[in-house]
Amino acid sequence: MLKKLALAVSLSAFAAGAVQAADIVVSSKIDTEGTLLGNVIALALEANGIKTQDRIALGATPVVRKAITAGEIDIYPEYTGNAGFFFNKADDAAWKNIDQGYELAKKLDYDANKIVWLTPSPANNTWALALRSDVAGPNKLKTLSDFGKWVAGGGAAKLAASAEFVNSAGALPAFQTTYGFQLKPDQLIVLSGGDTAATIKAAADQTNGVNTAMVYGTDGAIEAAELTVLEDDKSVQQVYAPTPIIREAVLKANPKIEEILSPIFKSLTADELRKLNAKIQVDGEPAKSVAEAYLKEKGFLK
Amino acid sequence: MEETSAVRRLDRLGVVLVAGGIAATALMPFIYVKANRIAAGKPMLLTQLLPQPSVIVLTLLLLLTAFATLFLRNALARLAIATLCLASLIVAIGLVSTAATPPGSTVARLTPGGAFWALFAVIGLVISDALVKIRLAPWMRVAVLAAYTALLFISLSSGLLDSLSIMKEFSTRAAQFQTEAISHLLLAFGSLAVAIVLGLPLGIVCFWVPKLRGIVLQGLSLIQTIPSLALFGILMLPLGYLATHVPLAADLGIRGIGTAPALIALVLYSLLPIVANAVVGLEGVDPSVRDAAAGMGLTRWQILTGIDMPLAFPVILTGIRIVLVQAIGMVTIAALIGGGGFGIFIFQGLGQTAMDLVLLGAVPTVFFAFSSAVILDAVIDSIRGSAA
Repeated sequence: MLKKLALAVSLSAFAAGAVQAADIVVSSKIDTEGTLLGNVIALALEANGIKTQDRIALGATPVVRKAITAGEIDIYPEYTGNAGFFFNKADDAAWKNIDQGYELAKKLDYDANKIVWLTPSPANNTWALALRSDVAGPNKLKTLSDFGKWVAGGGAAKLAASAEFVNSAGALPAFQTTYGFQLKPDQLIVLSGGDTAATIKAAADQTNGVNTAMVYGTDGAIEAAELTVLEDDKSVQQVYAPTPIIREAVLKANPKIEEILSPIFKSLTADELRKLNAKIQVDGEPAKSVAEAYLKEKGFLK
Repeated sequence: MEETSAVRRLDRLGVVLVAGGIAATALMPFIYVKANRIAAGKPMLLTQLLPQPSVIVLTLLLLLTAFATLFLRNALARLAIATLCLASLIVAIGLVSTAATPPGSTVARLTPGGAFWALFAVIGLVISDALVKIRLAPWMRVAVLAAYTALLFISLSSGLLDSLSIMKEFSTRAAQFQTEAISHLLLAFGSLAVAIVLGLPLGIVCFWVPKLRGIVLQGLSLIQTIPSLALFGILMLPLGYLATHVPLAADLGIRGIGTAPALIALVLYSLLPIVANAVVGLEGVDPSVRDAAAGMGLTRWQILTGIDMPLAFPVILTGIRIVLVQAIGMVTIAALIGGGGFGIFIFQGLGQTAMDLVLLGAVPTVFFAFSSAVILDAVIDSIRGSAA
């Protein structure tokens, strides 16, 4: 009697979490780009006759990662560089090269979890520095080498960045060593969270004199905030290419998925992603309609 | 002792509210005009918007309400004037935002500023103060809540407020809003139900066995001190393990993320108020009543169900009220671990620095929490009233 009651209570309470057997569970991280790519995947699969279940914008990286390794979700867009952190190989030089990083991520995840990394996008959504265009323009600063020389020569830069970016050996310290500049403590505003929307807003509004922001390469708000992304010409940062990753069992049951998604992801360059992210974040359009419009424009959807 | 004059002595609350309202209107902007969703907005004071007819009506009604708050003795009249003022405030923000939208622009966003929220709060307090003075019966309070909710829904569905950025955020994700609303309420009420099923018997046992009381209440208090996000995170591990190694658990829907850890954490947080209030309520029953019942030959169980529970019910219901309001608020955090609910909008909004999206998540949460509190308080008072 008690067991039946417990079953009834838990079934009714957990009904929302139950997964249907045949549909492919498409998920993503809760950020703008994740929601966009999740919708792209879902729309592409649906248009090709594969039924999907929507669990897009599930949560942060650890949550989504846990979900796929536990088999609760079937496919979601991940970044190649992140595999370094999943498998404790963050120091490997392969992550700095887009192709080597992809191959390494593919191998590591397949061997450990039987998760297949499909075709990646050529975009690099990695940490970058973005300078206000009205400072970058007159001083002709396009790359981080230019920026390094300018700061070392006394240029007035003030950076808003997260604590992780400022302290992590692979981030700001690596930039400073490679490009030959050193930001003094009063030239830094350190925020506790890695929220680039906040740093971009700070640079746009010049809060506390900030004119440089920590950004991710494909952030949508960059253009609207009138910032220029400084090119990492000496490849200091690891490459984070967005890639759909899928559980092997699901891929074997639906082998078409690779050929459906491959051309789509190949077409998503950094410029395209920035534009699409901007439509969602700056113009406030729903991610699904932005994804749909893009797929129709490129001819992937009728 | 009622004064015969219609004018009353200035009461402190009225003075504070009127002063606050004037300060807010003079110093804070009524509306922000933003070029796009994330840009900083151009502030506009109420005085700058004056040529518009809705603003003129609003200003006149605000002055009338201030006069009524300070000088009018009749609470019903104050209530009527303040309600009229609240309606005109909502109409004004809707019409002003439509007028301020650059023609043909789909990306411009208009957000109510500090003055709007302050005036909303001040007028709301004038209304609540008047309602308290009128001394309504409990069911009438619920009817009044329903009436004001209806007013709100009429203004929302009429399209009057559609130019506001929060409504634009809503329109781009209306279907998702409905789904998340349902999961949010299911999670909150579901955890309440489980907590009652587990907590009431535990409370009764603690009442009967005084030695257990200390341990149980201290243990539950300890759980209460764990930050909610930490508890969600801690539960992910054992539940994830359970889901992979125990097939029945996975079939039941127990997983490391999503509803399962959120539900369990919410139940754990809800136990303390229910158990503590059950114990206090049962202790509050006059022992002589219990003695009389025992003397009449009633069994322990009959005393419990026939005498203890009905008399302790108002106190237990207060505990339930606390738990429901707490749960509705806490479910917003469940969004971080995939549990859904209004929290999704809050965290997406934070990640995109789109404060209007944050409001889309926060305002309904506050509304539901406030409404549950009012409804349950009315139920408690009606039980107490009928028992008295």
